[in-house]
Amino acid sequence: METVQRKKFTASSWLLLVLFAILAVLMLFPLYALFLASLKPASELFRYGLNVRLDFDVMSLDNYRSIFTGKGEAGHYFEWYSNSVIITVLFTLLSLLLSSMVGYGLGMYRFKGRNLIFTLVLIVMMIPVEIILLPLYKLTVSLKLINTVWGVILPFMVAPLPIFFFRQFALGLPKDFMDAGRIDGCTEFGIFFRIMVPLMAPAYGAITILQAMNSWNNFLWPLIVLRTTDKFTLPIGLASFVTPLGSNYEALIAGAVLAILPILILFLFFQRYFIEGLTVGGVKG
Amino acid sequence: MQQQINREPALASKPRNRLANSQHLAPYLFVLPFIISFLLFFAYPLINAIIMSFQSVLPGEVTFVGLDNYRELWNTDFADALYNSSRYTLFTLLLLIPIPLLLAVMLNSKKMPFSNFFRSTLFIPALTSVVVAGVVFRMIFGELDGALMNSFLHLFGISSQRWLYSSELSMFALLVLASWRWIGINILYFLSALQNIPSDLYEAADIDGAGTTTKFMRITVPLLKPITVYVLTISIYGGYAMFTESYMLWAGKPSPQNIGLTIVGYIYQQGFQYFNLGFGSAIGVTLLGITLAVSMLQLILTGMFNKEE
Amino acid sequence: MKKQGIVTLAAMMALSMGLSGCGGDGNNTKNATGNAAAKTDNAQAESTTGAGGSGKAEKLVFWTFVDAHQKFMESMADSWNQSHPDKQIELEGTTIPYDDMHTKLLIALQSGVGAPDLVDIEQSKFPNFMKGTPQLVSLNDILEPELGNIVKSRVEIYSKDSTYYGIDYHVGATVMYYNKELLDQAGLNADDIKTWADFETAGKTMLEKTGKPMITFEGNGNWSWWPAISQQGSDQVDKDGNVTVDTPVNVQTMQFFQKLVKEGVAAVAPGAGHDTEEYFGYMDSESAASVFMPFWFMGRFTDHMPDLKGKMIIRPMPAWTEGGNRSAGMGGTATSITNQAKNPELLKEFLSYAKLSKEGNIQIWKQLGFDPIRTDVWNDPAMKESNKYTDYFGTDIFDTLLSVKDEIAPVNIREISPKVFDAIRNEAIPMIFIDMADPAVALKKVQDSLK
Repeated sequence: METVQRKKFTASSWLLLVLFAILAVLMLFPLYALFLASLKPASELFRYGLNVRLDFDVMSLDNYRSIFTGKGEAGHYFEWYSNSVIITVLFTLLSLLLSSMVGYGLGMYRFKGRNLIFTLVLIVMMIPVEIILLPLYKLTVSLKLINTVWGVILPFMVAPLPIFFFRQFALGLPKDFMDAGRIDGCTEFGIFFRIMVPLMAPAYGAITILQAMNSWNNFLWPLIVLRTTDKFTLPIGLASFVTPLGSNYEALIAGAVLAILPILILFLFFQRYFIEGLTVGGVKG
Repeated sequence: MQQQINREPALASKPRNRLANSQHLAPYLFVLPFIISFLLFFAYPLINAIIMSFQSVLPGEVTFVGLDNYRELWNTDFADALYNSSRYTLFTLLLLIPIPLLLAVMLNSKKMPFSNFFRSTLFIPALTSVVVAGVVFRMIFGELDGALMNSFLHLFGISSQRWLYSSELSMFALLVLASWRWIGINILYFLSALQNIPSDLYEAADIDGAGTTTKFMRITVPLLKPITVYVLTISIYGGYAMFTESYMLWAGKPSPQNIGLTIVGYIYQQGFQYFNLGFGSAIGVTLLGITLAVSMLQLILTGMFNKEE
Repeated sequence: MKKQGIVTLAAMMALSMGLSGCGGDGNNTKNATGNAAAKTDNAQAESTTGAGGSGKAEKLVFWTFVDAHQKFMESMADSWNQSHPDKQIELEGTTIPYDDMHTKLLIALQSGVGAPDLVDIEQSKFPNFMKGTPQLVSLNDILEPELGNIVKSRVEIYSKDSTYYGIDYHVGATVMYYNKELLDQAGLNADDIKTWADFETAGKTMLEKTGKPMITFEGNGNWSWWPAISQQGSDQVDKDGNVTVDTPVNVQTMQFFQKLVKEGVAAVAPGAGHDTEEYFGYMDSESAASVFMPFWFMGRFTDHMPDLKGKMIIRPMPAWTEGGNRSAGMGGTATSITNQAKNPELLKEFLSYAKLSKEGNIQIWKQLGFDPIRTDVWNDPAMKESNKYTDYFGTDIFDTLLSVKDEIAPVNIREISPKVFDAIRNEAIPMIFIDMADPAVALKKVQDSLK
């Protein structure tokens, strides 16, 4: 994945390299510590706290084994895993398509009510979800969405944060492309999908990983909507390992590592798209 | 996602109803998904929450209490929560806008070696859930001598601290946690915008003999304005909405002397832990008012409402 | 293209309706807020009318926040089915994180839909469910015949206006857990420690001989001060729900404990509580000689402090005065039936079987390691049978319990209790044990803040 031009390795390049190397170590350190902890028995954690001691005598895969052999709640792990994957994939695809349309509409066009709708977007973004939990729950019940994947996805699918982001991104898009498209006989939606979507590729990259991550880690709303153990998502399942009356720390820590894995793999796999951006075509008008 | 986007143009080329495609109607169709979603899922709950804020909501006994819930807000717990949330928000703004912006510019620079590798690395913490991150950081900031932060202090000859029992130290822990999780995300936002700055602008500036600083101040910063405003707005909102971080850091127990109580934490406590849903709604509506006012003011001041053509 | 968007959305809506699959939840737009009459037909809420419910076994939904409770209830359902072939039940248990389970339950009860049939409610959360009109089913008809056999206060804390709404799993008798090995090193005998004055003297010897504190207190929790004041007949809230945190007895108790900390006889538990990772590690490495905690804390020893196996013994708490109470009933979780339950009569029968019968109470000890609320099983031979608790603490566990059976005062849990508990835990106790403030001042401050 590295395409660095060796010839340009100047003094400032070295400086940047050192700076970012330090940063990278700091950023990865907690995860490394978590990973080490997942290999140790909980009593080790209780006595010494989260540490980075490498002590091969106490390290083993036992914690993972307890998840895979499925004692009690830990046995539902794979069910929760696949529920989380389904919800994340559906939610991300839908919210990406719909919120980019809305954001683009708000950013590109001047129309009556635009500011009102934008204000509503901000309101939806800023409502503390805790205060609408009860009415939203009643609503979801009456729409017969309780304990379903759609109950988790639909209410938050047209997501305000990505709308806002796409709107801001669209503000920077060149308007002359739009006129050019119209002259070529494109419809408004044609302009959006044919010309603007490729131009917004970096925004799609950023929002994809962001929405996927939010959905993967979402806790409160799925908890309220989903009612049976077999429908739970990973974060809910993981949290139930820690109860005030007897916690299963081993399963929690190992489970936490396994929870990061899929999203990490997804990320590493697609990081070229997310990070490098999908700068197809160009803005070099 | 890829396929979906690429598939669309083919569909778009089919003949369309002319009226529906007129420039006047099109924007409304673009925003229609939001309008439907708002009417279906948010209009009723929002109004309901506002009504609840004027009620005493008990099982089987709902009574109208006028402004009582709002009057009750005048207490030290709410003041603590407001202070903590505001302080946290302010610090996150100071940390999480300039630093990611600079880092993004560096990462976008041609001189940056292994740029993609570092972009990925800095982003990885963002992938962890707050629940997991909270557990990890609670242990990092544990009070045992062997806990990470304390063993780090020992390197400098400083004795172990009880991180989560002091207002200042625990705020520091919260900010470390926030920076760890959010720097990568904000870098991503800035990078996506940086990539859309035409490189010929910089080339032209080079010809004019502009230095790095001049280019940064004259080209990069102004062109990043929409995204900076976005990051600023969501950071204000995110700062005031912070709850799970503090909840996890204190393992779901209330923090000593309210040092970790945030406004949303207060809603949660009053609404669900004391089952005072009416009062909880009043706190929530007040919070919505605060964040909305601050954001609107900021959006108007930055000209983000009246789009310059 | 515009149609694309609308069609997508519409299709998704349609799809979602079709996929929701819970055929039975017809009457769900009930508005629980206000109309009490509507409550009764809400009883048929979707939870119990799941698909295929028309078979022989009655489907019961049970929520808890403790995995072990779920397993216990499931095992009780199995043995119920064996002995009641005509009343088969199918118990569907779900373990949900602690705070979140209570939140979810509040929402389900407040909205009138989606509550389980049977639910565990933790003691400090229980008063919330007593507010307004309780949305739980009265258990008087199964409880009244048994009141003579059980520790009555363990159901009284879950009552309102002489209606009982919940049955606890255990008594939660607070006992002293001594590390016998450390006592031996200091030349001390646990049975010689009769009063708190004896305890202080013994503690000084311990400190002198081993350099270790005799005991730890919670620096951010309720389990040190509350049992101690309960021993003396005092409480945080009185019978009528008035806050009484700064009464002379309460202040003196706190002053005594703070003095022990200042002397080094006691330490503030690492992690500031006894139920923390830090404390488990600290205790497991023999850093303090004793702790008093409710009976249910045994499980923390067996699960999280493996190195102390065979070293710990269980004894009564020291009394405050010669002949005073040597225990206190602390903590607990009630099992209740919600008013959305479809078949409350059957549920009551089952609940009575699981939590009031002799068999059930013996299983509560065997499976959960709790001190069951039926004291007539405490001297049952089953209590001496070998299990992980007797292996850890020895077989005389229930001898200790029997000796303090009549020395457990009831505690008052009233509507204001959750607020009082929080204020004590978060304000007063950290002030006293971490900032070393004067207990009289700290408790007065909390008393005033609670009006």
